[in-house]
Amino acid sequence: MTEALLQAIISGLAVGGAYALVALGFSITFTTTKTLNFSHGEFVSAGAFIGMSALFLVLGKPVSSTTFGDAIPGAGAQLLALVAALGAMGLLGWLLYAIGVRPFAGRPGMAWVMSTLGFGVILQSIGLAIWGPKPVVVPAPVGDAVIRFLGVGVRPQELLTLGVTVAIMLVFDRVMNHTMVGKAMRAVAANGSVASLMGINTNAVMIGAFVVSSALAGLSGFLLAPIAQASLFMGLTVGLKGFSGAMIGGLSNPRGCVIGGFVLGVFESMVNLWQAQWREVAVFALVILVLAFRPTGLFGKKMVEKV
Amino acid sequence: MKQGRHFVAVALVAAALIGATALFNNDYYLRIVFMMCVYYLCAAGMNVLVGYAGQKSLGQAGLFAAGAYAAALLTTRTEMSPWLALVLAAGISGVCGVLIALPSLRVKGPYLAMVTLAFGIVVEKLVGEWTDVFGGAQGIYGIKPLTWNGQPFTSVQWVWFGIVLCAAAHLLLRNLICSRFGRALLSLQADEIASSSVGVRVYRAKVIAFVVAAVTCGIAGALVAQQNQYINSDFITFHLSIFILLLVLFGGAGSMYGPLVGTVILTLVDALLARWPSAQHFLYGFLLLFALYVMPGGIMGLVSQWFQKAKKAGLAAGGSAAPTRIGPDGSGELLVVQGVSKSYGGVKPAQDVSFRLQRGHIHALIGPNGAGKSTMINMLTGVVDPDQGSIRFLGQEIVGRQVHTICCLGMGRTFQNLRLFADLSVLDNVMLGRHSRMSNGFFSSLLSLPQARRQEVATRERAIQLLDLVGLSHLAHQPAGSLPYGLQRRVELARALATEPQLLLLDEPAAGLNPQETAELGQLLVRIGKCGVSILMVEHHMDLVMSISDHVIVLDYGIKIAEGKPAEVQANPRVIAAYLGVDDDAVAAT
Repeated sequence: MTEALLQAIISGLAVGGAYALVALGFSITFTTTKTLNFSHGEFVSAGAFIGMSALFLVLGKPVSSTTFGDAIPGAGAQLLALVAALGAMGLLGWLLYAIGVRPFAGRPGMAWVMSTLGFGVILQSIGLAIWGPKPVVVPAPVGDAVIRFLGVGVRPQELLTLGVTVAIMLVFDRVMNHTMVGKAMRAVAANGSVASLMGINTNAVMIGAFVVSSALAGLSGFLLAPIAQASLFMGLTVGLKGFSGAMIGGLSNPRGCVIGGFVLGVFESMVNLWQAQWREVAVFALVILVLAFRPTGLFGKKMVEKV
Repeated sequence: MKQGRHFVAVALVAAALIGATALFNNDYYLRIVFMMCVYYLCAAGMNVLVGYAGQKSLGQAGLFAAGAYAAALLTTRTEMSPWLALVLAAGISGVCGVLIALPSLRVKGPYLAMVTLAFGIVVEKLVGEWTDVFGGAQGIYGIKPLTWNGQPFTSVQWVWFGIVLCAAAHLLLRNLICSRFGRALLSLQADEIASSSVGVRVYRAKVIAFVVAAVTCGIAGALVAQQNQYINSDFITFHLSIFILLLVLFGGAGSMYGPLVGTVILTLVDALLARWPSAQHFLYGFLLLFALYVMPGGIMGLVSQWFQKAKKAGLAAGGSAAPTRIGPDGSGELLVVQGVSKSYGGVKPAQDVSFRLQRGHIHALIGPNGAGKSTMINMLTGVVDPDQGSIRFLGQEIVGRQVHTICCLGMGRTFQNLRLFADLSVLDNVMLGRHSRMSNGFFSSLLSLPQARRQEVATRERAIQLLDLVGLSHLAHQPAGSLPYGLQRRVELARALATEPQLLLLDEPAAGLNPQETAELGQLLVRIGKCGVSILMVEHHMDLVMSISDHVIVLDYGIKIAEGKPAEVQANPRVIAAYLGVDDDAVAAT
């Protein structure tokens, strides 16, 4: 029983790490531009598939193949794929901002909800046209040998996901609080027009926010693919749960978002242990419960509208 | 009668369509027409939610599923009549609509959109994975279709039934939108705080919009399940939610015929592209991404731009400019504020403030910037809750009451930074003010019963009278946002008067007005005072304050430093000190 519980906690933490990356992405764009990427989930899938295509290319297979067969890409190939995924996702984020968000940001009516949603649908249909709906098994960069300790089996990819996530969070926190770039981002978040009066290029900061946010989504997909198989439909639920994590933690607080993501991952994994089909329902019930008592999340600041 | 003509026209069009479908014998075409009816039902309800209430719902597939699976389970697991099952299915989806609307009590905007998206996904997962009940991808077979004379509907009969339902849905929703509910929905889309300050129960209005969209979507789902006699989890996808949303946005959200146009075009396109699903999805994504950019008002928005009709200019001047009676006469205490305190961290905009307002007087609340005047107005109207103290209005404690309740008790207000519903006409703005004084209920409006129509006519007349009072009746049909600033202030005043207040709170009514306009405003306020409305105004223009008010209250840093007749207050050394500062020598001397 304890082993099963421990197992659930560890895999919950690993998946929670992926959620935390997504949640952080939501938080970054929300605080700087007051918009959210409603196709963040598709961006997660896109990250997985771009990484996968890079691996195919390195292995000399056509991009549109749907299986690795026996080929195992080496560490160099994996690293190259990671860089390709992050770079391509950053570009996608910039594109999304330029055509989907900037024309609508700051205007009433939330038209950006539709445009970002549409962007995601386009991405997904392009993916479907190339790879079809079937999921692809992706080899893990650190092998598939299960590590055992205390009677619990852990896949190295899970540990890797957890480690990378924690490292990214620490770096991000450091950048936000101790560098000029971070200060500029927080200034734009606090008041964009005043920030631009102080000589901060708000447009560049906003583009940066979308680039970083998309790259984080891509990283999340890249790390998840070997754990859960790469699928064009994997993103939607990951994206939603990332957002749920952000809501639990408080969208305006990056650290809260990260904690929320981890909490959600572990919670989901626990419910899964008990009744698999109630997993999604339980997760969203938790979110609604949190919102009912703390509409701005556990660590979010209370918002007051000036009358 | 305009309403009667519209009814006949819709009936004729429906009859013509029914006649036309009787002619073509091709099952494929009939199927397309049937799907148009199904999608139109979804879109018509969704338009109320998206176009009028301004709430984005990204989980309509979940409600579609609620209706479809309710009909499926009710007719396969029990011996229920399929007709009864259809009605129950509509009810069940309505309940689900309430469920989605619940979070809207706490969250807004993008958060709410994400919650609805999550609802759709949860339902999708549930019907896909809980196979014991919903059958998953295998689905549920043997759903009983609707019957006529004991015989199941033929394809043509299904289409006829669909057309009849669509016509009924159109007529009912049109009634609803043209009633006070439609106005209330538009107002909460524009500005929730202003909306509740004129007496609209914002949360209830949102729930109504969600339920309307849920019921129509549920009926559509039940129709599909009963017509196919089969339903499985493949019907319920995220793309369905997007498609339903797109029907409304593409056609034109917030226009009466937008959903119809969107449905006809997109259902045809959908049928043409059915063989290439990824091209279908690509197109929807493309439309979502660019349609709003190119045509924010959808196709109907474009069309109405081309055929911009000359607006009716002016109204027949509403007769006499004789002051209309608004509140009751009399004297005595109207409002008693006792020991009210409020603090935001270290800032204390109210510390143990007490004062009394008399019926029939014009009171002024003055003080330097940051004295806590606006906060006081917000506490009186329920926008902000005080930390301590009691506020009694007409003998009732109102601390902790909701904004719209306080408005209904008889307290109207205007805002420091105008909060008009800019896209609505001046007349609609003022008519909204009377929302809480109208007694026609939801169903009475939905069916456009005579009582509802009488109320509507009475409200319109009253609004025109009030516009006369403030001298704006010639601008009644202009969008409120297009008026110059000074006139917008007067519209807001008329809107507040339409709530039939006994006490009118004005937050800097003369801000941004030139001296001429300020003087006119003063005369207007005196006239309003004669109509039986007591006034409390926050104001910086001392000439205005001193010339028209009967009683002045002075706040400084949240503390009441003086009150009394204008002349007394002007002579009060503490007031002078607060406004002009104190000479150190003078302090030493005293």
